[in-house]
Amino acid sequence: MTLLSIRDLCVDYLAQDRTVRAVDRFSLDIPKGESFGIVGESGSGKSTLILALMGLLSKRKALVTGSALLDGADLIAMSEDERRAVRWKKMSIVFQNAMNSFSPVHRIGKMMQDIYFAHCPDSAKAERRTRMEELLGLVGLPPRVCDLYPHELSGGMMQRVNIALSLMFNPELLIMDEATTALDVVTQTQILKEIAQLEEKLDITRVMVTHDISVVASSCENVVVMYAGRCLEVGSVKTVLTKPAHPYTKGLIGGFPAEDEEGSDEEKRPLTSIPGTLPDLGAVPAGCIFEPRCDQSADACKSASVNLASLDDGRKVRCRRYGG
Amino acid sequence: MGIFISRRILTAILCIFAALCLNFIIIHAAPGDPVRILVGQDNPSPEVIEALTIKYGLDQPQYVQFFRYVGNLLRGDMGTSIYTGEPVSLMILRRMGPTALLALTAAVLAMVIGTAFGIFSGRRVGSKVDSAIGSISYLFDAMPGFWLGLMLILIFASSLHILPTAGMVDVRADHEGFLRALDILRHMALPVTTLTLTLIPYYMRISRAAVVQALGEDFITTLRAAGMPESKIYRTYVFRNAILPTITVFGIQMAYLVTGSAIVEIVFSWPGMGSFVMTAISRRDYPLLMGIYFILSISVAVMMIAVDLLYSAMDPRIRHTGVKE
Amino acid sequence: MKRVAAVKKMRERLRHLPQLRIGGIMLAFLLFVVIFAPLLAPYDPYALSDNMVEAPNFRHPLGTDGLGRDVLSMLIYGARTSLMVGGAAALIAAVIGVFLGGVAGFFGKKIGSVIGEAINVFMMMPTFFLILIVVALFGSGITKVMLVIGLTTWVGNAKLMRAQAMSLRERVFVRAAESVGESKLSILFWHIIPNGIYPIVANTTMGVASAILTESSLAFLGLGDPNVISWGQIIQSGKSYLVDGWWICAFGGLSIIYTVITFYLLGDGLNIMLSPKLASVQNAGKRT
Repeated sequence: MTLLSIRDLCVDYLAQDRTVRAVDRFSLDIPKGESFGIVGESGSGKSTLILALMGLLSKRKALVTGSALLDGADLIAMSEDERRAVRWKKMSIVFQNAMNSFSPVHRIGKMMQDIYFAHCPDSAKAERRTRMEELLGLVGLPPRVCDLYPHELSGGMMQRVNIALSLMFNPELLIMDEATTALDVVTQTQILKEIAQLEEKLDITRVMVTHDISVVASSCENVVVMYAGRCLEVGSVKTVLTKPAHPYTKGLIGGFPAEDEEGSDEEKRPLTSIPGTLPDLGAVPAGCIFEPRCDQSADACKSASVNLASLDDGRKVRCRRYGG
Repeated sequence: MGIFISRRILTAILCIFAALCLNFIIIHAAPGDPVRILVGQDNPSPEVIEALTIKYGLDQPQYVQFFRYVGNLLRGDMGTSIYTGEPVSLMILRRMGPTALLALTAAVLAMVIGTAFGIFSGRRVGSKVDSAIGSISYLFDAMPGFWLGLMLILIFASSLHILPTAGMVDVRADHEGFLRALDILRHMALPVTTLTLTLIPYYMRISRAAVVQALGEDFITTLRAAGMPESKIYRTYVFRNAILPTITVFGIQMAYLVTGSAIVEIVFSWPGMGSFVMTAISRRDYPLLMGIYFILSISVAVMMIAVDLLYSAMDPRIRHTGVKE
Repeated sequence: MKRVAAVKKMRERLRHLPQLRIGGIMLAFLLFVVIFAPLLAPYDPYALSDNMVEAPNFRHPLGTDGLGRDVLSMLIYGARTSLMVGGAAALIAAVIGVFLGGVAGFFGKKIGSVIGEAINVFMMMPTFFLILIVVALFGSGITKVMLVIGLTTWVGNAKLMRAQAMSLRERVFVRAAESVGESKLSILFWHIIPNGIYPIVANTTMGVASAILTESSLAFLGLGDPNVISWGQIIQSGKSYLVDGWWICAFGGLSIIYTVITFYLLGDGLNIMLSPKLASVQNAGKRT
């Protein structure tokens, strides 16, 4: 069953004298219960995509078209009031900057209770307080955190608070936007493990947005590789990350050290990086978007646009060599 | 927290001490004989010279004189006015009331109006309304207070004959009770308007910048993503984060308000410290001037500490760590 | 090549900074008036005549004051006074502020914190009143007024420069100069000050405006130089003729407003133009 179905989503940033297409005809189906990873280098449009889904882009600065159906309701077309009702109850998000995602001059419990109150105005004060302590307990924090200020907690603890906040209404969809990037590796692994347990318990579908492919490898079932606002390759983590088809995916994986998983007795390969930088999204070439940086480009790549092609193992690839 | 406040108090004490030294140095470095300066006459009689020389210990070495001066101040003795012979402290005390009335009213009004405009403007940053408000505040910021006061007199008093132009009460009417309060209010209208108009730009600029900054913070995105209504975000979160710098400005403004209102007081012949200073200057009443300067320094220092206390009470980051970011 | 690109970038920024453009045009006009004052003024500003408190007419476009002097001519010569006092005072404040702030921020703990504390103390002083007393005591010649305003308003600059110096002293090139054995003073003058002076440039431009306001306030209170025409003095003399001769006060004030806005605009524009540099300096300071 599909939980979130994105169709032809485009985001155009309106600059002073030109528009920049940050997300281009992006389509994706996220099945219920299967965690999804969205990877790409910074500037690939993954955060823009998330902000568009959450309706957090300013209408004056960005134009969003296409559709995104969450349980049949279109997130893009809905009114501000409808969206406010969907936010947090059906989908919630954990941002990267844990330290700054709470007001520095309010107690943590106060902001959490205010958010609870915004959705349940009839709730009693004591009820809200118990619920907050319950939530904090869920992520392994003591109840007294309610009465603390953000600067009194460490980055890892604040990220737990953010996760607790996002679980407030048992959302169906939980987006984590680089949520563990700023943490040290030990805390990151620990938190990822706990999240995996929580989502099973609470029946949550998780979307991980990250530039760190190892996070996706260790915590997601499916993965979509984004580049310049487009989907280049999508499929299960097993197929895409072990046998990458698109040259860009290969490049991305080459940029990270191999995970010492069971059965991987291949020799240590050298780390590589992808030459070049992201294209200017204000002036996109006619052919394949990745062609200028691709080590396997041919003349045909320069002229004809490339579409996503399905492969036998269930994945989709946007590359001419696979019939795109 | 404790360290933070005690540091500030130390600075304040240093400041008052520095004011003392400056006072002493200025009076001793001024051209002419200190006695003559203190007497305010060109040819004082020999008896007067001798009396003053002994009184101020002018025959003693400079450092002895300095300690004597400080000692007198510590005992609350700021000397007597050359012109009236009254104790300086009493004279100042009498003048403080009207100034406080004028200055406080204007400061509170300016804070409320200026902050309101600033928040209004900050919410619409970059819009036409925002730049229109910005331009008008620029204009008032560039206006000398005394000139604005004169223009208001020209319009409201001389041409329209609606409001009185000078003083605090109508001496001829000699009202009592409620009528007297009403009379004072009428007399306050123009000076308060002048002072308020010149103060509004400060508050506006500060609160607008604070709102713009607060709106860019990550926690605002969190609140929006969490489905909190925009009005509630503004009311509780943006406002609280934006009001802190406004309070600081209020304190600093208060501290300088006596000097800031001085000229306006003079324009409207308001019987406060401002016109008092001018009288003291024109009469060359140096003990009085020194006393006023000393009192002003103290009140500025005290206000600054009060602001810091208030600020740290409102910002948990300072409350806990004692560090102002 | 690099320089050409930098100039081009500067010009590009200028295009997006209306404050700087408008302020520049306004300043050009002001300078024109100041330089060609003798040619522009229709009358000798000091010359008395029998046409007292004459409303604006063809002979006197902005009327005459209580002593029969031509207001337009007085305003034109007053511009010289205002700009001179404003510029000189702001410059004095800049030099003192940069030096003290630089020393406080760059030199080691002892000297640094002593001067730092002195800056804090000065910050708390009621400046205008101090100026008032000093001018009243020491006399009100135009040079004295300039000096006193300059000597009492350097605190803001010192604070800015101190912050700049504190972040710059952690930078690699300063460290490098230190390790090569350059003397502290030479590092201060050749590395710290040239690299950290940008915010002071903007602040000094604003300082010109506030010095002009202070000078006019002093003149309005009768503490200006009685021998030099200044805008504040014109307003003071016009105060007694407010009802019958509104033009004396009105135009004097408008001139002050025009000039103050000019320098506000320039200062604002400079602040924005120079702040990217400022921002990157500060960030670099944080990272190390």
